[in-house]
Amino acid sequence: MQELIAQIINGLSLGSIYVLLVTGFNLLLLVAMIIHFSYPQVVVFSMYIIWSVLQLTGNNLVLGIAAGVASSVVLNLVSAPLFQKVMSKRGEVDINATMVLSMGIGMIITDVLSHSFNEGLPVAFPDSLSSFAPIVRLGLISVQVGQVWSLGVGIVVVSAIFLILYKTRAGRAFRAIAEDPEGARLVGIPILRTGLYSYGLSGLLGGIIAVLLAMLLGSASPGLGEQVAHKVLAVSIIAGLGNLAGGLVVGLLLGILEAIVQGYISGSWSNAIAFIVMLVVILAKPKGLFGTRL
Amino acid sequence: MPLELYYFLSITAVNILLSWALYLPYRVAHLHFITVANMAISGYAAAWLVMALHVPFGCALLVGFALGGIIGFVVSLFIGDAPTFAVVIVGFTFIFISRTVIENLKAIGGAMGMFGLPNIGGNPDTHRLIIMVTLAALLLIVGFLLHRFEHSSLGRAASAVFMDKDLAASLGVDIRRLGMLLQTVSCTIAGGTGVLYGFIYKSLHLDFFTFALVGIAMTIIFVGGYATQWGAVVLAPILYGVPLLFPPAVQEWRIVIYGAALVLVLVLKPEGFITRRFVVSMESFLSGTRKKRNTLSREEI
Repeated sequence: MQELIAQIINGLSLGSIYVLLVTGFNLLLLVAMIIHFSYPQVVVFSMYIIWSVLQLTGNNLVLGIAAGVASSVVLNLVSAPLFQKVMSKRGEVDINATMVLSMGIGMIITDVLSHSFNEGLPVAFPDSLSSFAPIVRLGLISVQVGQVWSLGVGIVVVSAIFLILYKTRAGRAFRAIAEDPEGARLVGIPILRTGLYSYGLSGLLGGIIAVLLAMLLGSASPGLGEQVAHKVLAVSIIAGLGNLAGGLVVGLLLGILEAIVQGYISGSWSNAIAFIVMLVVILAKPKGLFGTRL
Repeated sequence: MPLELYYFLSITAVNILLSWALYLPYRVAHLHFITVANMAISGYAAAWLVMALHVPFGCALLVGFALGGIIGFVVSLFIGDAPTFAVVIVGFTFIFISRTVIENLKAIGGAMGMFGLPNIGGNPDTHRLIIMVTLAALLLIVGFLLHRFEHSSLGRAASAVFMDKDLAASLGVDIRRLGMLLQTVSCTIAGGTGVLYGFIYKSLHLDFFTFALVGIAMTIIFVGGYATQWGAVVLAPILYGVPLLFPPAVQEWRIVIYGAALVLVLVLKPEGFITRRFVVSMESFLSGTRKKRNTLSREEI
């Protein structure tokens, strides 16, 4: 029983990261109308920027975190015109074309990471950022700093995003575009500017996720983005593309499932089981469990 | 034949076949990356049959095709008419699952891979000749079938689905069956290609079937032109050959170059270099029936 509780705690902290990633991904999908498949690769890039700045500044956490968050926002904003251009060239919103474009961006990021940082080897974050020392220990149950941070920040950030979406003027504009882009344009909502806000907001979110992932995992590798990208898109599809509340539920469930499977099954088979469960759900319900919001 | 030329021609042929395998379901807007997983599954299965059970290469190749087709058909039962992003994610999931399974199966070398696949025909020269002839034959057969498909009612139905699913359905196109057919054929091609890929290098390793391979195929299709089969034929040799002319330091960055090319073409020339309009003009020119016109006829579209 203690082992199960320990795995559920692991799963909740991992799941909260998935929830944040899916929320950022869905924001871009709903407001900017793009499938930013390489959004997790942007997050991993920010992790590498954090690592680099920590190396350069003798583990100055404030500078490292600031650089990580800034790089994520900048990378997201820089890619915005590319996505806009692809959509305007097609003459209509084409989320499939944006997905391919995003995959291209992901290819570049992954390969740059594997050539330019630490000779392609995984990078390890210092103990000042990522400590695996438990702050609470009860038998087999131990809670680490990174887990508390990821769960706590996850709850705060997701609540803040829901607050922005449902209680602010900008949030209403986001939701209006998600519901009916043409209608939103007719009532005077600046589509392009609001879209850019979503790039900025998801970039900010990406930076926060990068910090949390660094704390939780303690390391990063160039291939991390691809694996996480796949899970984020899977969670998003299982929940129903663009469904923020659904993403919250499925993200947490995936985290818990992964942690439990890893706790009871040894070796890399555990990963396969999580993927098989995801595959079965997608094959059975390709349009999602909770319905798409597109 | 010099070894460099053999590898250039054979890998180019594999890249064209893989790109065609992806191109076919993309005619109905399905990015079916399960093809890469099928290459791995069929490649390993055929190699195991040849090495462990001493099955002749020809039979193992047929098994590779069949295995790819069966997997493709079974999966297509569920995602024959699924949205693009669902098809993408099923493909990626299959790649992860097949990698994990292969990694854990000791009989096929696990994470170490399979090495020392035998020469077909007994010696290296005959081996290379058989591989080249098989690849050439496969290119001709698949290319011809694709060409016929493009000029058939099925090809027009696929174009209709690509443009507007609802409209295609209202015109009587069975979207699900068309999607299933294209996915199954695509996976069959990929299965056989995977077997040949393994026998070109006479070894198999998980690193042969990574996302880089997906990226290469995507670049070939989208930069070459996703609306015709000829884009892959033109771009595959360029994409594989040109980086070989550069110093090794530049070659290391070829995936970045591919990615940059993909992004630039999507932004600046979304239909790719070889467009359908260009192909129709060329066909008209070659058949001597070129007419002065600015638009394609309904049938050509």
